[in-house]
Amino acid sequence: MKEIRIRFSKTGRAKFISHLDLMRTMTRAVRRAAIPVWYTEGFNRHPYLKFASPLSLGFEGLDESMDVRLIKDMPAADIVDRLNRVLPDGLRVHRAGEPVMKLSDIAFARYRMNFKDNNNNLSKFVTEQNIIAKKRTKKGLVRDIELSPFLNKADLIKNRNDNELCLILPCGSETINPALVVTAYEEYIEQCQGQHIKVLCDIARLALLNGDGHLFV
Amino acid sequence: MAYNLDELFKMVQKPARYTGGELNSVVKNKENVGVRFAFCFPDLYEVGMSHLGMKILYSLLNKQPDVFCERVFMPDTDMEELMRQNGVRLFGLESRDAIDTFDFIGFTLQYELSYTAVLNMLDLAGLPIRAEDRDSTHPLVIAGGPCVCNPEPIADFFDIFVLGEGEEVILELIRLYNSHREKGYDKTAFLYQAAHIEGVYVPSLYHVEYNNDGTIANIKPRGEAPATIPKRIIGDLDTVYYPESFVVPFIDVVHDRAMSEIFRGCIRGCRFCQAGFIYRPVREKSPEVINAQSRSLCESTGYEEFSLSSLSTSDYTQLESLLPMLLEWAQEQNTNISLPSLRIDGFSEELAAKLNVLRRSGLTFAPEAGSQRLRDSINKNLTDNDILETANKAFTAGWTAVKLYFMIGLPTETFDDVAEIISLSQKIVDCYYKNPNRQKGKGVNVSVSVSSFVPKPFTPFQWEPQDTMEMLEQKQKYLRSLLTTKKISLHWHDASTSFLEGILARGDRRLCDVVEQAFRRGCKRDSWSEHFNLQAWLDAMDDLGLDPSFYANRRRSFDEILPWDHLDYGITKKFLIKENECAHNNVTTPNCRQACSGCGAARWKKGVCLS
Ligand code: SF4
Repeated sequence: MKEIRIRFSKTGRAKFISHLDLMRTMTRAVRRAAIPVWYTEGFNRHPYLKFASPLSLGFEGLDESMDVRLIKDMPAADIVDRLNRVLPDGLRVHRAGEPVMKLSDIAFARYRMNFKDNNNNLSKFVTEQNIIAKKRTKKGLVRDIELSPFLNKADLIKNRNDNELCLILPCGSETINPALVVTAYEEYIEQCQGQHIKVLCDIARLALLNGDGHLFV
Repeated sequence: MAYNLDELFKMVQKPARYTGGELNSVVKNKENVGVRFAFCFPDLYEVGMSHLGMKILYSLLNKQPDVFCERVFMPDTDMEELMRQNGVRLFGLESRDAIDTFDFIGFTLQYELSYTAVLNMLDLAGLPIRAEDRDSTHPLVIAGGPCVCNPEPIADFFDIFVLGEGEEVILELIRLYNSHREKGYDKTAFLYQAAHIEGVYVPSLYHVEYNNDGTIANIKPRGEAPATIPKRIIGDLDTVYYPESFVVPFIDVVHDRAMSEIFRGCIRGCRFCQAGFIYRPVREKSPEVINAQSRSLCESTGYEEFSLSSLSTSDYTQLESLLPMLLEWAQEQNTNISLPSLRIDGFSEELAAKLNVLRRSGLTFAPEAGSQRLRDSINKNLTDNDILETANKAFTAGWTAVKLYFMIGLPTETFDDVAEIISLSQKIVDCYYKNPNRQKGKGVNVSVSVSSFVPKPFTPFQWEPQDTMEMLEQKQKYLRSLLTTKKISLHWHDASTSFLEGILARGDRRLCDVVEQAFRRGCKRDSWSEHFNLQAWLDAMDDLGLDPSFYANRRRSFDEILPWDHLDYGITKKFLIKENECAHNNVTTPNCRQACSGCGAARWKKGVCLS
């Protein structure tokens, strides 16, 4: 049996597929593509698929990862072709190959955040020192998380509105969801301007990284 | 600031209900199509996407090069609120265009409690809800499905009802529409001509007059419209169109699997069951065709499960030759076969084991009535012994749970009949403990589900009074009082929803105002228990001076003109009257394969009536 890592993007309409639904969608795609994957044993047999860290509903992912096990050899290019022929719009496989790193090596992810506001506070926001996010833990507790260290290192993309950020956030045993950055930004604007406005933001996960900041492969 | 669709999707629960883009969904270039068709299911995506009829017609319509058919479902409350706030009109999932500019808006009406959802969807589309307020610039609003066998309570909202099976007639309608468009389309002229297509009922072309007591005096066609409208029926199921692929939803829907239709109609004639009469006669598909269609569906969807669809799987005469064919490839592809509504008795044990029949469906029975007397009266041929023997076998094989489906409120039912629901359940419990080979150390669980009977048009019970809510609640209370063991768990349906269903099922045109009023009073999602508000309906009826019990709880005489008398489903009144009398005398009627009882459906010269 051979482990194969499949790398794909999830964009456009497909960003509204939840993680759970993505697993089902990929399971069926693998079946349609007739890729000789290993099925779990037992009563409800299904193809064994293992995804790297889940992507939140509404985010795009440009380099997502899913592992399968082959019970018969199949060239990587074949796997890519076959899957692309049966995947719905917005899901696209780019490459496949033997895994180099372990899934547990993933520690960070790089995101692009495109803010749909014209406040132009973003350039100041990323330089602030005391930006705190409130993170809800599984037990329902609220924990303060320092965002500034990550924001300070973020790149502000120079474009017409100065409204796009590229930043790296923890995405492993410890995870900071970029949605927390949006909430923190809303609070920041409220502090500055004295009124709450809802900020819309398109978020894309560009890459998964290991602890040393290298691309997850 | 108004948000656009993509932004709205980020604010709602389960956005994939609204985004479209699923595998096998069909997106056409709008410039290249002549006819835009919105296929609407007046319920949530999860419910509508489970419906086979919609899948068939969606694929069939999109197979026509000049037709673009899109799916439309009822948005959930969060989405509806955002749509109304942001001025977003109801849109087709495929193009995301607002449907008020389409040519046809077609609804499938599966249950009466979806009527206000229809009005809500028309309203969300920005269309006038009444047909008379829509002119030649508006889409034609049409409907099909079992409810249109008495569409009178919603007659004012629709331009056209399609009676019976839709595959042929829908294309004929579109053809006629196209030819009218070439000459300059005029809605009225079109409707007059459409009324001559077999199976097409144009409600505005019929005038209903009432007697002083509220019953119908006459139903008169206008102009050249036919006096009675026959339903449509497909003769040969082997050659009728069937989809090669289904749209595969992203989110989990109620029935998330491939489905192969194995036959239409039902031979049994259970007297309470509308489906058993309006889809007559039984017509089967051949095993070879089913096998090929199932396989192509599974391969194009990747579904890990497919089910055989019909009203009663066991009545398919070629089941024993079909199943091995299916198993051959299904096992190899790790695909599961599910066989709903299968009677497990008389099933070969080897096949049952291969199919994991019990594992899949659990051990379920639908005796419908507790006593043999009442089962004879409703023509449900299932005996206590049938049930006990099968259950006993399953217990030996290690099963410990049984599900039973019953109804209360059936015509001629007494409290003794009701009590027998519990005694039959108790017999199953006893049977478990008497079985020496039962699973050691485990108790048995008999789950009893009790719904309330609603008399329906085109059944032998169409003249019968429905039990009042009080009566139904008394019977429910009585059932609970008889329960002495925790091994039996009892569930029932709310009597108030059955009451409303009863009013609408046999209602006349005067109820159109009630449906509209109920909608204006906020009823939009009657089929979702948390939104159901009977009082709003009763207030609407009160306002309009109509009596709910006139519709639900009144016995009609055999010679009364019924609101659906001008619709012809092939079943003769004479037959239904005879069946009604048999019910009152506890006399059963043989099924179509044992002997023809001359119901009238032979007129179509199809299926079982020919043998
Ligand atoms: S005409 Fe006879 S065989 Fe045909 S559906 Fe009716 S009862 Fe059955």
